[in-house]
Amino acid sequence: MTAPAGTPGREAAMTVSLLDIQDLSVVIHRPGRSVAALSNVSFTVAPGEVVGLVGESGGGKSMVARAIVGMLPNGSHATGRVGFDGADVLRMDPADLAAHRGRGAAICFQNPRGALSPTRTVGRQLIDRLVTHQKMTGDRAAESAKELFASVGIRNPGRRLEAFPHELSGGMAQRVMISLATGCAPGLLIADEPTTGLDVTLTREILRQFRHAADTDGRGVLLISHDLASIAEVCDRVVVLYAGTVVETGPAAKVLREPAHPYTRALLRSVPDVNGGRVVPTAGGMPLMTAAPHDCPFAPRCAHAGEDCRTARPETTSLTDGWSLACFHPQETALFAPQEAAPASPSDPAPLPDPQGGSSVAPGASVTADNAEQAGRVVLRVQDAHVVYRSRFGSGGHHALRGVDLELRAGETLGVVGESGCGKSTLAKLIMGLVEPSSGSVAVAGKTVGKMSRVERTRAQMVFQDPIGSLSPRRTVADSIAEPLRAAKVPADARAAKTEAALSRMELDNSILTRYPHELSGGQAQRVGIARALVGQPDLIVFDEPTSALDVTVQAQILDVIADVASDAGHGSVFISHDLATVRGFADRVVVLYLGRVVEEGPVDEVFDRPKHPYTRALLGSAPRLGESRTAEVQLVKDLDEADAATGCALAARCPFVTDTCRSQEQTLQSYGESRAACWRVPELTALIGKSA
Amino acid sequence: MRILRFVGRRLLQLIPVLLGVVVLTFLLVRVLPGDPIRSILGPNATEADADAARARFGLDQPMWKQFLDYLQGLFTGDFGTSIQSGGSVGGEMALRLGPTLELVVIAVTIAVLLAIWLGIWSARRADRVGDHTVRIFALFGNSIPEFWLGLVLILVGYATLGWFPAPSGRVDPDTNLTPLTGADLVDALITGNGPAIASSAAHLVLPVLTLVIGVLAPLLRSVRASALEVLRSEAYAAAAAHGLPEKTLLRGYLRRATLVRLPSLAALVFGTALGSTVLIEYVYSWQGFGQWALRGLLYRDYPVVQASVLIIAFAYVLVFLIADVVHAWLDPRVKI
Repeated sequence: MTAPAGTPGREAAMTVSLLDIQDLSVVIHRPGRSVAALSNVSFTVAPGEVVGLVGESGGGKSMVARAIVGMLPNGSHATGRVGFDGADVLRMDPADLAAHRGRGAAICFQNPRGALSPTRTVGRQLIDRLVTHQKMTGDRAAESAKELFASVGIRNPGRRLEAFPHELSGGMAQRVMISLATGCAPGLLIADEPTTGLDVTLTREILRQFRHAADTDGRGVLLISHDLASIAEVCDRVVVLYAGTVVETGPAAKVLREPAHPYTRALLRSVPDVNGGRVVPTAGGMPLMTAAPHDCPFAPRCAHAGEDCRTARPETTSLTDGWSLACFHPQETALFAPQEAAPASPSDPAPLPDPQGGSSVAPGASVTADNAEQAGRVVLRVQDAHVVYRSRFGSGGHHALRGVDLELRAGETLGVVGESGCGKSTLAKLIMGLVEPSSGSVAVAGKTVGKMSRVERTRAQMVFQDPIGSLSPRRTVADSIAEPLRAAKVPADARAAKTEAALSRMELDNSILTRYPHELSGGQAQRVGIARALVGQPDLIVFDEPTSALDVTVQAQILDVIADVASDAGHGSVFISHDLATVRGFADRVVVLYLGRVVEEGPVDEVFDRPKHPYTRALLGSAPRLGESRTAEVQLVKDLDEADAATGCALAARCPFVTDTCRSQEQTLQSYGESRAACWRVPELTALIGKSA
Repeated sequence: MRILRFVGRRLLQLIPVLLGVVVLTFLLVRVLPGDPIRSILGPNATEADADAARARFGLDQPMWKQFLDYLQGLFTGDFGTSIQSGGSVGGEMALRLGPTLELVVIAVTIAVLLAIWLGIWSARRADRVGDHTVRIFALFGNSIPEFWLGLVLILVGYATLGWFPAPSGRVDPDTNLTPLTGADLVDALITGNGPAIASSAAHLVLPVLTLVIGVLAPLLRSVRASALEVLRSEAYAAAAAHGLPEKTLLRGYLRRATLVRLPSLAALVFGTALGSTVLIEYVYSWQGFGQWALRGLLYRDYPVVQASVLIIAFAYVLVFLIADVVHAWLDPRVKI
């Protein structure tokens, strides 16, 4: 297999491949069972090329990374060849391997905070790499560490060198991790899920760092991610893994726009799109292979599978230049059916999944008084709520919410979005009565949350981020689902019937009732979590990032379930997410939080298609869009943790359009058309953006 | 600066702790059955003799008066008079504390260093022969009663091999050592008495070895467990995957991260060793603090018991303070 030709203009660099994986299979033998982690994987990475390795967890992405640095887990047996600069990593002796690690291939680990040694300053850790791999000494290493820190966008690099990992924010730690990997001066830079857990505004910036490493230093870059859409922009080529096999390889743009393998298509259709495209879920989950497959591993989940798919494993066939896939039935139709793809145009807002027939809020319309009456009773009212987490001793503390007003009626779905640290989770806790407001009031179904009795408290339910962790490990599914009923003092026989009804609505089989959480998959556990929230027919359900811990195709299934649940007329829903696209799917109204304040609020399509506040514009601009590569019209200038909002507009320190007025005047929500935004410069912004572009 | 403030604050906390210890031991020792006066006077003494003796030691006073006198004495550095010997408790204790502290400090220091070295060595060879050997020996050492181990070591080291002096003291009297602190090796070093240095060091070998073997196991297990945790951590794997050389990995990424949890355990071991050396002191005729405290307790020698409990409590608090400072210095995440 020769290196496929890449994008024009990089032809010269493509001729020699740096990494050349041929027919790599890894079987891990554990007592009692064996797992075929990788089966006949082949692909290449050339110097100066960015290759994306995409797939869901369990697909074998991390195993590929481990194989490249020769760190396969104990009990694994690898066959094939991991060619690197002419040598085979699988057959290297310890001395060669030591030289290969770092200098040959260096990994940027997925969880940078965990991957940085906690008892050594980050500067010292970087200098260790420089001394080892670039043979630098003392002062020169310190000098170059400072330069490296600056080059990955760390302000005050001299001071940051002295910092310990726990003193860094997530984004900063990720930058340090990149500098550590590049500090090894590797031929190949491997990034394992480099943007997981980072906010959208930071994700693009971090991905750009990898493109930069390939373009300026001529390194090969292998970007591992579960999210094809977000990394496609910086990749030259992508390799799609499913159940340890390569199902599709090709130029990034081609795979992204005209994916031919049904799995790639499922992957792309599972990701919600900020433009309002509907998610198309694919049933089932990834199988755990015990041996190299003899059929197409995706066949059980594939709509196009025929008899041939179940009896033989499709060979990898080349379609066009550099594009190959392993499928008997390659698809050529458009990714989304026309009626699904259409509602993306901003002038014609997407028809919302109609919540509950006649009583729903009209799409795109603001919640005016008469509409609200139609929509039913108010189930949640938050008035000027402040939450301050006091520090343990003395004065001060963290002001998590600074005056939030919300109102939600039955049948309505409110989306809450913002970066991490903006107060989303505090808002959820506040609504559930888990934190007391320092001032202001919260009322669910007309009752103040703090004064509710135990039974009344069951009127508000929550669906948590970690599906398995939020179920008691010692209770069966039936017990867990019936929890709110027990709290509401429902008699035992009525409980069983209601539990089964809730379960069947989640399309789960009754046999699951006697199982324990550790026996459930993530998707099943989250369905149980939703059933638990739903079973007592509450007035309000709060979804706190319910899909962010799930795999992409499972996420799509759960989003489908949530969309259905949220459209019930009987209760209101609050959907909290850092991912704008998931909110757009089924929220009626959306609230954008920034540092504990609501900066913009309005009907979902109005806010997403015609954002007013600079922060909303920046958020939307950074969100990945399928098949589009565009730069954000508004780019924030600093990381969140560096922005200090003492007086005036909270965004002042990061906003590109900041004036002295912003710094001195507190901004409050003002109506601009159908939505409200807390920015006085909204009328001028369009002109300002035009000027800067 | 922060550390100094922390130490200052902790030393202030020492006052209520010690006050509590003083009150509790004062009361508890009097609640215990038995009468110190009867135990010194013998069976033939009359009631009048006993009363006279009580008056001599102030035991005829009401309890609160006795306590205030005792407290007043403490503030002036007077621990009272031993009922048993009639000597000053402070003076006796000073004589006894030195030898025991010398024994315990040397033994625990050696045990900690050995545990760090062996524990990390063992963890790096986890589940191989060397690792298992080290762990089995540590377990044996922990299970063997100290007095028996002491006897075996005497039998081998003195009786059979003749390498070490007889277990009949702490230093050869012929060396004319001038006692200063009571810790003989320290005294010998201070006075520059060559023969005394050799003699006291030789006398120390067997008891120190007995104690080291006794306390090594928990320290070793703790170091090995946390070293394994570090070795299996993502942070260590990341450093290894970046191809850092063994030496850098060991020094920069393994050792400090491993030691983070050791100080508090070492402090606990030190405190226990200080109170429990009494058996070793018996076996080696080590006229030390443990033996003195035990005899005081047996004869209900109130001032001796009170003073020894106070000293042990003080040592515990002080050692844990040191452990906390060391912990904070080792682990940057700890805020003090």
